[in-house]
Amino acid sequence: MTTVLAVFRNEIGRLFSLRPVVSVVVVAAAVYAVFYPQPYLNEALRKVPIAVVDQDRTQASRELARLVDATPDVAVAQVLPDVPTAQREVYARSVFGILLIPRHFERDLLHGRTSPIALYADASYFLMYQRMNGAVTAVSRTLGTSFEVARLVGLGVDLPVAEAATDPMPFIPVPLFNPQGGYATYILPAALVLILQQTLLIGVGLLGTLPGGAAIAVGTSRRFGDLAYESIATVAGKLLAYLAAEALIVATYLIGLPYLYGIPRLGSVATILAFALPFTLAVGALGLLVAAALRKPLAVQLVFAAIGLPFFFLAGFAWPAEAMPLAVRWVAKLLPSTLAIDGLVDVAQLGASLSDVRGEFLGLWLLVAVYASIAVVIEFNNRRRASTPAPVRGTS
Amino acid sequence: MQRRDRERPGFSLVFWRELAWLRRRPLLLMLTVVIPLGLMLLLTAILSAGLATRLPIAVLDLDGSELSRSVIRAVDATPDTAAVLHVAELSEGRHLIVARKIRGLLMLPRNLERDVFAGRRPEVVFFYNTQTFTVGNLVLRGANAAIPTVAAGIRISLRTAEGQPVEEAQAAITPIPLQTHALFNSTLNYVHFLLAALLPAVLQTLVVTTMAYAVGLDVETRHRFAVLRRLGRGLVPAMFGKMLPYTILFLSMLGIADAVLFRFLELPLRGDPALLVFAGVLFVLACQFIGALLALLLRQAAVAVSIATLLTAPAFGFMGIGFPRLGMNQFAYGYGELLPGTWYLMARIDQTIRGTPLDLSWKPILVLVGFVIALISISTLRVWKMRGSSEGGAP
Repeated sequence: MTTVLAVFRNEIGRLFSLRPVVSVVVVAAAVYAVFYPQPYLNEALRKVPIAVVDQDRTQASRELARLVDATPDVAVAQVLPDVPTAQREVYARSVFGILLIPRHFERDLLHGRTSPIALYADASYFLMYQRMNGAVTAVSRTLGTSFEVARLVGLGVDLPVAEAATDPMPFIPVPLFNPQGGYATYILPAALVLILQQTLLIGVGLLGTLPGGAAIAVGTSRRFGDLAYESIATVAGKLLAYLAAEALIVATYLIGLPYLYGIPRLGSVATILAFALPFTLAVGALGLLVAAALRKPLAVQLVFAAIGLPFFFLAGFAWPAEAMPLAVRWVAKLLPSTLAIDGLVDVAQLGASLSDVRGEFLGLWLLVAVYASIAVVIEFNNRRRASTPAPVRGTS
Repeated sequence: MQRRDRERPGFSLVFWRELAWLRRRPLLLMLTVVIPLGLMLLLTAILSAGLATRLPIAVLDLDGSELSRSVIRAVDATPDTAAVLHVAELSEGRHLIVARKIRGLLMLPRNLERDVFAGRRPEVVFFYNTQTFTVGNLVLRGANAAIPTVAAGIRISLRTAEGQPVEEAQAAITPIPLQTHALFNSTLNYVHFLLAALLPAVLQTLVVTTMAYAVGLDVETRHRFAVLRRLGRGLVPAMFGKMLPYTILFLSMLGIADAVLFRFLELPLRGDPALLVFAGVLFVLACQFIGALLALLLRQAAVAVSIATLLTAPAFGFMGIGFPRLGMNQFAYGYGELLPGTWYLMARIDQTIRGTPLDLSWKPILVLVGFVIALISISTLRVWKMRGSSEGGAP
């Protein structure tokens, strides 16, 4: 136990004194906490500018354009004479959609004929497309229904009957979570988990590749039992050190930041922290393997610089796991972030209990066990090699 | 190798020395070839399906009538959703949504059929989860397409029962039909929307950090800086000889990614290929010189790499693909403006899926030209200044 404690104290001292490590684990974590969420802080995309090509120029067509403009999602930015002119504005990105109201729109409507309208919506940005399509569809349905009801009433049908005839089976979509469909609410809980993983992985990778990591002298013991004990104590001490050092950062990222950014939380703090425990340990253990594989601090920094983005998509959050090839889904399971994003979002945002996410929870503990065991084996081999009579070189 | 050693100092000597470095240093080769290809392959594999279809939803059918079954069939028939199981209770369905076993729950109330035909307007409720944004919106799209279709059938049958001819009834139920045309990406394919943008985004981070490292190695000590200058016979040829091998390598990576996108993933190339390539060259150069400039200013490879990572790793969100820049706050909009990737992605979308007319294509490309000129000028100035100080302090 004293050996574990010695390793723990040595590692925690290094964590807060080695400049490259501090700048990743503490400084970068602080910077990302402010910097990363910036694009999403407005939560919703509103007032997507569209052009109206009104070939009818009647009261009804202007009323339609006004109703579209009045929706929160879309704004009529320009009224243009023809479609080719409007198309150029779409190419120039000054508008993202064209609402075409053809001639005789009002006449057909008043004569009880169908009076179609068309929306040309830019689908090179999906969120814009979705907003425009949703808003204009809703307006055309509402306006169409009111015309249909008016016609039926005009024919002498009672209002309730007319309403039932136009909308006999209302469709009510109910979003269970993130009801406003906020973008920050969607992306931040997952992204914050990923940032935690990235900063800790790089930090542990740096600690393992910078000198001074061996708290127990290497090359002194020869016996298998001593070597095994030293290896296990080293890995355990280090993991505990990372856990202690990260405790505040993890709590800030998983509870403090979502609170500050106004992201609804349904789960209890205790459950979130309980789930964060195996996550932090798994990332720390994986970091030990990263250090062993990459060996140089700069290599750790460089290899992990661009890997965050693929890791994010691997998590099956932004893009459904159902649509990924099976092999990719298995690779994804090797990353703590995949299980942790699923589990932590379920716990924090959906209010799941620990037993609801026991699959992810146990999966993370399994990752801890596997990665820590491999780290012990690597540590053991290093120690045995150092203790063989061949040219001995202490790494401490 | 021998012949090269005897080569006269100048641009090409630095160029060949850099290539020899790339051969000898596995880390550099990994950063310029293995990791870009590996990460791009991984992203391609993740998103290769392009469309997420038949997402599983559950049904809580409390009616069990002909009508409720036809609603279920309609929801199952949309490309977006598949009705995979029946649940007995609302809580069970909610539980399955939380566990992500299903992506939505359709609830058909008791006496649905009877109430519909009695004009009591019973509600069909669809529960879904927008915490997972994309999936939530996809299943909603499916349900939203299917249920009004069934309702339309009922409305027609209500009218024909009153003696109205079918065509007339069809016309009467949708006075204002909306035809929506998805411009540029008519199938709403995620490969063409997201993957095509993600690959350059990953490359942006890789180019900036790798150049911060590679240039950092040469400017970390005055000695190495002086060696580079002598090899290049002047700083400017040395600088370009140093950069060019990476320009070629990273452009090849971008080329490989694009070849896969165009050949196998059917990304359309509706614009001008020459313009696309030109924009690609400018993009790589701009990223390279951002990395180089960081190294020149900070003079330590490790610090330059950290700052480069800090600036570019979160860049994708600022480039306005997932969440458009239109909706961002001032800071995020402004930061996006400073990233070469923002402009390159615009030019890329213009020349691939949009097929933007030539006269409207220039803005992002001219901005990239401006970036490259400005960055090269600042780097040159900085290198000149460093020469001055290193000569003054040289032993």
